[in-house]
Amino acid sequence: METAILQVFRYDPEKDQAPYYKEYEVPVEGTLLNALLYIKDNLDSTLTFRAFCRSEVCGSCSVKVNGKTKLACKTPMKELVETWKGKPLRIEPLNHMKVIKDLVVDIDKPIEKMKTLIPWLVPDPRVVPTDPMHESIIYPEEMEAYKDQIHCMLCFSCYSACEAVADNDRYRGPFAFSKAYRFQVDRRDIETAKEKRIRYAISGGLWSCVQCQKCIYVCPKGVKPAEDIQNLRGQAVKKGFTDKPGARKLKHFVDWIYATGQINRLYLPEEVYGNKEAREKLTKAYTEMGVEVWEVPKPTKGLMKFRDIYLEILSKEDKALDLDFSHVRKIDRMVSEIFKADICTIVDRTHEEGRSSKGLISKLKGLLGGK
Amino acid sequence: MVELDYDIVIVGGGGAGLYAALWAAENTILKVAVITKVYPTRSHTGAAEGGINAVLTHSVGDSPEAHAYDTVKGSDFLADQDAVDIMCKMGAAVIYDIAHRGVPFSRRPDGRIAQRPFGGASFPRTCYAADKTGFYILQTLYEQCLKNNVTFFNEWFLLSIIHNGEKIEGITVWDIRNGGVHLIKTKAVILATGGHARVYWNRTSNALGNTGDGTAAALRAGLPLKDMEFIQFHPTGLAKTGILVTEGARGEGGYLRNKDGERFMKRYAPEKMELAPRDIVARAIQTEIDEGRGCGPNGDYICLDLTHLGEEKINERLPQTREHAILYEGVDPVKEPIPIAPTAHYSMGGIDADKLGRTPIKGLYAAGECACISVHGANRLGGNSLLDVLVYGRLTALEAVKYADEASETKPSAAKAKDDEKRILELMEASGKEKLADLRKELGNTMMKHFGVFREEKTMKEGLEKLMEIRERAKHVKVYDTSKKFNTDLVTVLEFLNLVDLAPTIAIPAIERKESRGAHARKDYPKRDDKNFLKHSVVKLKDDGSYELSWKPVTITKFPPEERKY
Ligand SMILES: Cc1cc2nc3c(=O)[nH]c(=O)nc-3n(C[C@H](O)[C@H](O)[C@H](O)COP(=O)(O)OP(=O)(O)OC[C@H]3O[C@@H](n4cnc5c(N)ncnc54)[C@H](O)[C@@H]3O)c2cc1C
Ligand code: SF4
Ligand code: SF4
Ligand code: FES
Repeated sequence: METAILQVFRYDPEKDQAPYYKEYEVPVEGTLLNALLYIKDNLDSTLTFRAFCRSEVCGSCSVKVNGKTKLACKTPMKELVETWKGKPLRIEPLNHMKVIKDLVVDIDKPIEKMKTLIPWLVPDPRVVPTDPMHESIIYPEEMEAYKDQIHCMLCFSCYSACEAVADNDRYRGPFAFSKAYRFQVDRRDIETAKEKRIRYAISGGLWSCVQCQKCIYVCPKGVKPAEDIQNLRGQAVKKGFTDKPGARKLKHFVDWIYATGQINRLYLPEEVYGNKEAREKLTKAYTEMGVEVWEVPKPTKGLMKFRDIYLEILSKEDKALDLDFSHVRKIDRMVSEIFKADICTIVDRTHEEGRSSKGLISKLKGLLGGK
Repeated sequence: MVELDYDIVIVGGGGAGLYAALWAAENTILKVAVITKVYPTRSHTGAAEGGINAVLTHSVGDSPEAHAYDTVKGSDFLADQDAVDIMCKMGAAVIYDIAHRGVPFSRRPDGRIAQRPFGGASFPRTCYAADKTGFYILQTLYEQCLKNNVTFFNEWFLLSIIHNGEKIEGITVWDIRNGGVHLIKTKAVILATGGHARVYWNRTSNALGNTGDGTAAALRAGLPLKDMEFIQFHPTGLAKTGILVTEGARGEGGYLRNKDGERFMKRYAPEKMELAPRDIVARAIQTEIDEGRGCGPNGDYICLDLTHLGEEKINERLPQTREHAILYEGVDPVKEPIPIAPTAHYSMGGIDADKLGRTPIKGLYAAGECACISVHGANRLGGNSLLDVLVYGRLTALEAVKYADEASETKPSAAKAKDDEKRILELMEASGKEKLADLRKELGNTMMKHFGVFREEKTMKEGLEKLMEIRERAKHVKVYDTSKKFNTDLVTVLEFLNLVDLAPTIAIPAIERKESRGAHARKDYPKRDDKNFLKHSVVKLKDDGSYELSWKPVTITKFPPEERKY
């Protein structure tokens, strides 16, 4: 029978000074969970891990294999042996949670964190009947909005893999945002709850996610937390929660691009981080570097048409409300002051000069991922 | 030892336990706690795929009476009809309630909850949420419990039930995470600890921990267990692991073949073929295996052939089946037939409880698969278990609230907790002459061989002897892990000992029930015998450790027994 070597992380805080690895020879048959059960039944009954359903629905058995997060009952031994070309397989507990014993980690903290995001339905009495014998009507199409999020089985694989959790202990965790987002897009959930969820999401680190996409990659159930986080951010901006650097950055991008066709590298630090001296320092630094600096870029011929196209793109993505027109008007006023004319006149003038706006639009398309 | 004080303690965080917790939390200011050996969302309810039966307001032509009739007929007339009546009438109310709380039931184009046909039902009345009904119900109930700030003691293991012969006083538990026996003083207890099909260790569709802990604790506390001989076998479990292959595989046109490649169902159900009711298919498969027409080197399985469906259809309609066959059986159904055999799936029997979930001890209730109300009688219809789980979770919660509101403080003695502590220490000091994994396998094999799909006096009697012998030998099973924290070695041994205590409660009435009814199929008594056996079996454990069998009448209201024909 073909066998493989598992190097299993062992640590009993009661007895061991430090963690160590113990080697076991197991048959290459069935799943990694079978191998762990084989050890427990035949080689060493003190090995400690969680497992229950053995058929990938309960979320108990996530571990790391040579650093990669895996659901043990969904991972064939054969595949592991082939991937790692017969090298020993190092089995370790998930990251970012305290080890209770061997492969068992403390999952209370991520659950508590999730709880702060109101991960439950708060029914809107105008939509959900209070009479228990009345059915609430939900069209199949509506359920598309949360069809992936509802698969989360709280296995904490994504929590273990997440960069933001590593950086920031307050960060609620990918799955928690997905659980929250599921109700943000449910028509039955009351508006006030949605508002609160956003507020709590922001204080729970919504803008700390670095969009590394690892959560999507490791989720055994096809949940896509990174996408849900982006959507939550969109909702946050739409609801006017813009006093976080991440939100302000997004606002800066959207508004400046609309107003002038490009982001403004001089104003970015000020608008995002409130750093008032940055503009002056940067201007000096750019000049020393020999880079051309401008307070605001000179509007070009196609700007008005460009704005239409940009708005159309935003609308298609349902992001038109992200645009803050009062901010745009402020930028317009700056432009007018600097170029000593109102924005339309400037555009007309550049039109006469016969410049093209083509470059601008293609740049914009590139920025938005070719959409 | 820590002492805790609650008004209502719910043991179990599956569908029944969580729904009970929710209804208790919303209807009382009493102190309520849930004790569960695994985190609630990991309970076995999450594995239920098919759906949940209920007659809804838009189920045209259907009625709770029709549902009740189907249930009673399916039970082979052993169900108590007053209880069935309650359950079927509450169907719509519980479905709407959980839908309002967020369970994403699949919907018809007009936005109403969709229903599909299921075995043994005269109308399409099975509500479903894609193919993960139980999973979504469990997640939603957990969310709602968090919303209501329910107190959870996760990874705590029920050891013993304490009562004074009349009233419940408390329970003892083992705190898995930190180690240590705790005494919980309480006025009311709801047991919702799930089924015990793991007694067929290597041939079951159940989770590793469905070991009937609550049922065994009740038995040891002197409570009666009812109809334990009835275990439902699902015809298609993967040969190596017993993991379920959904009925959908046959529904989509899969063939069952024996070693000669013959579609043998034509000899058992010429019209319905592979689509005959569960128990008939299970018996047909077992007969083929028993008569030497099984496949494989040991002739111990049958082939479920999907190859003719083609890769595209398999991927589209049966993706989970393909994934599981590859993962757990090492067989790709696109290229080869899947080895399958009947697998122990559901425990009809359990803690004896009445139509409101009350046990003979005041303040002690049972709900869900660990209970025998009995709404399933000798055979449960697919989709009726989740309904039972919710209806009785809710009813027992309301009963418990009513009772605990008025009950006086209890004074459980600490003796039981001391005993439990001693018992655990003894397990760590046992001789170790017997090996857990081997003995457990032997228990499973004995159950399958002697109390499996078919039963017969002679083999059953031999089987019972073996079970008693295993019970003796189990005393030598040792817990090697001596640490306090997260001692899974200890937990698995405790679970095993529960199975060992329960096995004879299945065997004894199975031998004495000299008829065939529902899931209890006897070769030597192939017919149902209403004259002598239209009654519930009741097993108790006596102080000297022996088992005592008695019988109890069935409640018949509307539907007089008739032959069960489909
Ligand atoms: C594969 C499969 C598919 C199924 N499909 C369907 C279906 O489609 N429709 C249907 O109606 N039924 C179905 N069933 C049956 C149904 O799922 C179960 O009967 C039902 O979920 C049982 O729910 P429960 O709440 O009683 O127990 P469980 O969900 O098993 O929960 C038991 C709880 O008790 C706790 N517990 C157990 N022992 C202890 C202890 N010693 N101390 C503390 N806590 C303890 C556990 O932690 C758990 O939380 C299916 C069953 C299986 C196996
Ligand atoms: S994308 Fe965000 S949430 Fe996902 S793992 Fe990376 S940092 Fe964490
Ligand atoms: S999102 Fe996926 S990986 Fe994260 S906890 Fe849920 S199921 Fe696990
Ligand atoms: S054991 Fe349940 S997901 Fe692996």
